[in-house]
Amino acid sequence: MLGLASISLVLAASIVIGVWGVKAARSTPDFLVASRRIVPGWNALAIAGEYVSAASVLGLAGLLVKNGVGAMWYAVGFTAGYVLVAALVAGPMRRSGAYTVPDFAEYRLGSPRIRRMCGLVVLVIMLLYLIPQFKAAGVVLELVSGIPYWIGVVGAGLVVASTIAVGGMRSATYVQAFHYLLKLAFIAGPALFLIILAGPERRHAAIHPAEVDADWMRPMLDLGDSGHPVLATVSVLLATTLGAMGLPHVVMRFHTVAGARAARRVAVSVIVLLSAFYLFPVVYGLLGRVVAPSPSETDVIPVLVPGAIAPGAVGAVLTALVAAGAFAAFLSTSSGLLLALAGGLSHDLFGGSLQRLRLGVAVGTGLAVALALPSEEVDINVLVGWAFAVAASTFCPLLALGIWWRGLTATGATVGLLIGAGSSTGAALTSVFIDIEPGAVAILLAQPALWTVPLAFAAMILASRPSSVPEWASEAVLRLHLPGRYSAEPPRPRKPLDAPGEAQAPLPRSGLGPTEGRGDGGDAIR
Amino acid sequence: MNQRVRITSPQTRLALRRRTDAMRPGGRRAGRPPIASTAIDIDAAERALRRQRRLAVRTVLSLGGALAALLVAADLAAGRLGWAVLFFAPYPVLLALAAVHVRRAERIESDS
Repeated sequence: MLGLASISLVLAASIVIGVWGVKAARSTPDFLVASRRIVPGWNALAIAGEYVSAASVLGLAGLLVKNGVGAMWYAVGFTAGYVLVAALVAGPMRRSGAYTVPDFAEYRLGSPRIRRMCGLVVLVIMLLYLIPQFKAAGVVLELVSGIPYWIGVVGAGLVVASTIAVGGMRSATYVQAFHYLLKLAFIAGPALFLIILAGPERRHAAIHPAEVDADWMRPMLDLGDSGHPVLATVSVLLATTLGAMGLPHVVMRFHTVAGARAARRVAVSVIVLLSAFYLFPVVYGLLGRVVAPSPSETDVIPVLVPGAIAPGAVGAVLTALVAAGAFAAFLSTSSGLLLALAGGLSHDLFGGSLQRLRLGVAVGTGLAVALALPSEEVDINVLVGWAFAVAASTFCPLLALGIWWRGLTATGATVGLLIGAGSSTGAALTSVFIDIEPGAVAILLAQPALWTVPLAFAAMILASRPSSVPEWASEAVLRLHLPGRYSAEPPRPRKPLDAPGEAQAPLPRSGLGPTEGRGDGGDAIR
Repeated sequence: MNQRVRITSPQTRLALRRRTDAMRPGGRRAGRPPIASTAIDIDAAERALRRQRRLAVRTVLSLGGALAALLVAADLAAGRLGWAVLFFAPYPVLLALAAVHVRRAERIESDS
């Protein structure tokens, strides 16, 4: 019951901060990107808070116990992705001034069709990512309070949807920053305690797993004993690293900072925050192998470890803390994902008002909850891995080529997106529904990034005809790499506006935050 | 008298209008540049793009190399220390790669 109480406290605190953060979400830009008024430090915390999901808090430790130390590659890939974000995406993406990836695609390729296609891809990625979050909420609630899995999942859906629909992104930023700190405190604090409480014997056993079988110890991800651990590891690493770069909800976050420089720096700060966090799930995994070697549900290992190490009141308190941390992970990630999903549904697919955006939140939650109900048996990291694989095979090539290669055309992007999304989701679905004997083929279907990413890149490059790139598209790319003094001019409205005063309205400089020293805050778009 | 008037800042109104213009089916200027109409110095921009791209390629290759090295190192250390390599080694390397990239990218920007 202590666990349920602490979860309720997290929830209450999130709502209070959310309400405090709502300076009223009035318009779409307000709702989606908090009118770009968010300070970089908060932003980095919020990105990390949103990113450290149930996959990191629960799934990582669970997979570690189940499959071996190779599971740590997930954490490495999740973090390595931000090197690519800092190097390839953050700055130029911010300069484009686009809200979402579909917005960017339209800016760069000038085709409303491609925007709708991107909107669809956003839906697929976000849903794949949301399902395991709801699964996590369900299993944690079931463990700490005995609530049946399905009630936990549905309840979690209601809570998240209502907080988002009321607050939008501005509140989400503060809530998520708070959640990062909460997760760090509630996962790291108990972990340190547990290391001490475990005693020398169990500590020794945890960090000298040499006595266990060599397969578990090999720092490779051998999925389902396929016999090709290096292949599987490389494919997972590729999916997580490149996928992080193409995650729509992460890319969206960079539009809330003041400018391109700040965006890049935020990405670097995120690496620091993630590095600090990812040490601790490993602690639970290593200890979990010793104290809870074969639970029926590996995804709740971190919640089981405290009770196994310290029975009694101390254990109960620590369990409650970890459960609250896990719930915070669920809450923050799913609200970020839902925002991106709702954005995709209303803003990119149907053309959106705030009303539709809220409807989008409700629809997205409903879909994710419905799909999470039958997914209780699937490992969190397997599902999250697919979300990353799809992102790596679609938006990663779209952004990498769109930002750095002027030759990319709308046709090329369309073909590449179709092939990337089709092959990666197709492979994942095949591996679910068809039983294939373990081996290289099984790996390449369950972890398809190794071949779908190059395929998508190749398709985009081959289907584009660089010679036919119009001048404005080439200029659009150039602007992405120019510091503010070139691109920060106030954009001139294309149409005469009904109120004469509006045409002279200055760029909302005052709203751009104090950080950008050189005035590099401009939007090339609109 | 009872008519409701929506009060928004001019910026918000602009943003909303652009949004709806762009979203209306057929209202989108097909093939027209959705960008600001101010002129840029094309030559300088070309140079900046090329330098930034070279830097980006270098960072991506370094990242690939670092991860490959880590994979080999972790596998060689398998047994006793394999987990420790994966626990401690990756993050400082990743941070260094990103920090160096950002510093250089900013230097290119202040040159151009």
